[in-house]
Amino acid sequence: MAPLATASRTLVARTSSTLLRPAVSARAISTSPALRDASSTFENPFKGERKSEKVPDFSKYMARNPSSVNQVFSYFMVGAMGAISAAGAKSTIQEFLKNMSASADVLAMAKVEVDLSSIPEGKNVIIKWRGKPVFIRHRTAAEIEEANKVNIQSLRDPQADSDRVKKPEWLVMLGVCTHLGCVPIGEAGDFGGWFCPCHGSHYDISGRIRKGPAPLNLEIPAYDFPEENKLVIG
Amino acid sequence: MAVPVRPIYDFLFRKNYSMLGVVFVSAFAFEMFYDTTMNKVWDNINRGRQWKDIRHKYAQEEE
Repeated sequence: MAPLATASRTLVARTSSTLLRPAVSARAISTSPALRDASSTFENPFKGERKSEKVPDFSKYMARNPSSVNQVFSYFMVGAMGAISAAGAKSTIQEFLKNMSASADVLAMAKVEVDLSSIPEGKNVIIKWRGKPVFIRHRTAAEIEEANKVNIQSLRDPQADSDRVKKPEWLVMLGVCTHLGCVPIGEAGDFGGWFCPCHGSHYDISGRIRKGPAPLNLEIPAYDFPEENKLVIG
Repeated sequence: MAVPVRPIYDFLFRKNYSMLGVVFVSAFAFEMFYDTTMNKVWDNINRGRQWKDIRHKYAQEEE
């Protein structure tokens, strides 16, 4: 039995030594610093050409321009995108707001054209414009003079007659009392102009408030004289 | 590159407010350019069909 015993012992010793070696090399590639001396090397388990160990040559992909050129280019692209989106946002908002405003046909309907040659001197005409009455008076020279004679500083709502008319002989104003919105009566009142019957406001021949509760002068609408003897309100 | 790149960068892009100003000014310029170009394209597509193209046929008869 002796030879068998020695044979088995030598077998155990050999296997233990062969089993131990990979354990040592495995320890060498671990991060343990104990075995990291100058003699330890990394052994690649893969055979053949070792492409993956080489650092590739990136010089082909590196920028050939100086860095400032690339910087300007990228900032230019960022800025161009910002500019285009800013223009787009502005135009979007503008179109939405334009959509809400009155269209051209509505605006055309909102104008009123008056033939002035049919209105004699010293006469009032009341027309309807956007649901409100508009007074048109062909004033005489005496009335214009009277309107200009008034001391502006003494008025409740100081306004010169020349600021209220485009042509002195034509007075155009909204016929809505500035107090509570009644329609004043023409050629009445203490000042030869308009008189509001609701609460007794007196307006003069230029439509300015002179007496009574109203706080402001009668309002002047936008109007124009495109031709002689023609008036367009609106 | 013959373009002096560095001064462009320093002048236009380096400060945030100058970059923002450049962006808004160029947005304004771009919008004008784009609008006129698109109007020209539209007029070119609809040539002879708009009122301003055929106005002379009718406006003379009135006068």
